[in-house]
Amino acid sequence: MSSTTRAMLWDRLAKASLVEGALPEAGEAASPWFIRVMLGFAGWLGALFLLGFVGAAFVAIFRDASSMLVLGGLACAAAVAIYRVAPKSDFMAQFGLAVSFAGQAMILVGLADVFKRFNPTQFAVCFMLLEAVLFVLVPNYLHRVLSALGAALAAVWLIIDAGLFAFAPAAITAAFLVLWLVEFKFERHGPLLRAGGYGLAIAAVLTSVLHGGLWLGWLVSRGHGQPAGGEAVQWLGHAASVLVLVGAVIALLRREGLELGSGQGRVGLCAALILGLASLKAPGVAPAAAILVVGYANGNRVLAGLGIAALLGYLSHYYYSMQTTLLFKSALLAATGLALLGARLVMHRWWPEAKETSHA
Amino acid sequence: MANPRDEILDWSEQGRIAPGRLRAALEAGGALPDANDWRRFLDRLLLWMGTVMLACSAIFFFAFNWAEMGRLAKIGLVEAPILGALFLLWRLGLERASGRAVLFAAALLTGGLLALIGQIYQTGADTWELFAVWAAAILPWTLAGRLAPLWVLWLALLNLAVSLYYLTFGFLWGFVFAPQRLMWMLFGLNTGALVAWEACAAAGLEWLRERWSARVVATASGTLITWLALTDVFDWRSSSHWGLPLWLGWMAAAYAAYRRWLKDVYVLAGGVLSAIVVIAALFGKSLSHSDAGGFLFMGLVIIGLSAAGGWWLKSVINEQDGGAA
Repeated sequence: MSSTTRAMLWDRLAKASLVEGALPEAGEAASPWFIRVMLGFAGWLGALFLLGFVGAAFVAIFRDASSMLVLGGLACAAAVAIYRVAPKSDFMAQFGLAVSFAGQAMILVGLADVFKRFNPTQFAVCFMLLEAVLFVLVPNYLHRVLSALGAALAAVWLIIDAGLFAFAPAAITAAFLVLWLVEFKFERHGPLLRAGGYGLAIAAVLTSVLHGGLWLGWLVSRGHGQPAGGEAVQWLGHAASVLVLVGAVIALLRREGLELGSGQGRVGLCAALILGLASLKAPGVAPAAAILVVGYANGNRVLAGLGIAALLGYLSHYYYSMQTTLLFKSALLAATGLALLGARLVMHRWWPEAKETSHA
Repeated sequence: MANPRDEILDWSEQGRIAPGRLRAALEAGGALPDANDWRRFLDRLLLWMGTVMLACSAIFFFAFNWAEMGRLAKIGLVEAPILGALFLLWRLGLERASGRAVLFAAALLTGGLLALIGQIYQTGADTWELFAVWAAAILPWTLAGRLAPLWVLWLALLNLAVSLYYLTFGFLWGFVFAPQRLMWMLFGLNTGALVAWEACAAAGLEWLRERWSARVVATASGTLITWLALTDVFDWRSSSHWGLPLWLGWMAAAYAAYRRWLKDVYVLAGGVLSAIVVIAALFGKSLSHSDAGGFLFMGLVIIGLSAAGGWWLKSVINEQDGGAA
């Protein structure tokens, strides 16, 4: 944003008594998502070489699970210290990220070795706790996004391992929605909420677009994650996705101060019901649509873009998914497509276009 | 570069927004959608999701290869929606969003029709021909449509046709299929498309100025040349030894185009990542398993490069923001 536009924005807020005093100095612009992706990938690459260093310098450590756990823990503690001692340094932030990744990898390998005698549940619980601790302690946005993603994926693993795979998309989407719907309410914790929200959004995409097929196959091959309760529980899980989407639309309408019976309310609920019903047999549609709509509602283009990418990705993946025949999938898509176009026509009647455009 | 949302959130984090008034500030700053924005968004969402789902349903239907249905019925079932779409397009026109959505659906359905003809009449055509003919068939619509997503679809079809062509004829030409030849072809195709895209946008074609579509093509071009440079670095069997020099040329051209001319930090960030990967490969290939110092040095080099790259990219953004005043 140019300095003139910044000044105009500040003036507009000052006139509405929302800010006081002089326009703050232009700080560092918030890094766009693609710079964060670049930094994250480079941090991961750097961590691989640091791990290579540890492996080459201390060969004995890689042969002993306890040593790996201790050294991994020390590396994570060092990463926390690096971030806290030099929070503004770009180099130290990247160094801390690489050290943290290397530490987490060592802890994962150590845990995998230790839990050969136990089960994946304990592994996932330990990893989730580790990520939660790092999320709180490391004061860095990118690191927090990745910690939230790690914790969320560990939670999904636990759900699948419990045989409740059908509930995973609903659970992860609900957690994601709660965080983003209260984004403006708990403004003091905004940075934490947004970092957690992005991590959960990526986890929701991974869980809904891939809808856990790979994980489930891996777990089932090891005697875990057998779907519990048969067909009825599967349907309940899918119904939970519908409820989450409809609930999100209701919460959004309330947040915007709109009546459920208003034209806008009826259109929103109608669209949510159509997409929710489609999700009974195409479980990725509801989470992807939720990400898109909440992203738009919060003025967040990155989140809205992620929702569009998730929807397109899911449609491509859906073609190859083996749960139902192509004929059934074709009928489902045709019915949903027609219903959505019908809803658009109804929208023009229930919510006619305003003659004049007025901005707040 | 930053939008009102980012700026207001930044002020909120600095404690400059009155407590409890963040949402009001975002509304006043125009960062949140108003009633008209919401209506437009839902209208587009329902239109595009509905249209794409209907077109996909037709493609899924014919991919099912329903044996109980006769040839004419099958062809009628896919031609009817195409004719219906063209009729709607005639009524709606290309200026309306619904008209453009219908054109996109017709382009998707054309692929379904071509696949169906190949399936019914056993034309003996290879898969690459399907995609090539599909791309050729929708070219007039793509030219007339002035719609970036349709051009992206057209380019994706060309990429698929070229890839499948090489997969089919790689062995027939008397040499073991070399993936590098395919990568060079795809690199040429996508780089040519990128140059044409940016040139047309600069020449005044407003509808090509949406950055997301040019970025998709730039990502394809950059990824391919980075991969070709890596084949040179690791001296893989089919390496042409042109990958690294051309990668250097691509990086210089990207810098000139996106730093000096167009100023697109997305492509610059991709270039930084590409440089880090190639430099890591150049140094990393000579490391032995026991070279602890080398691993540490490389780790620090990558961390240093990425930190410096991040700092440079942020300074470009800040410079743009200040310079735009």
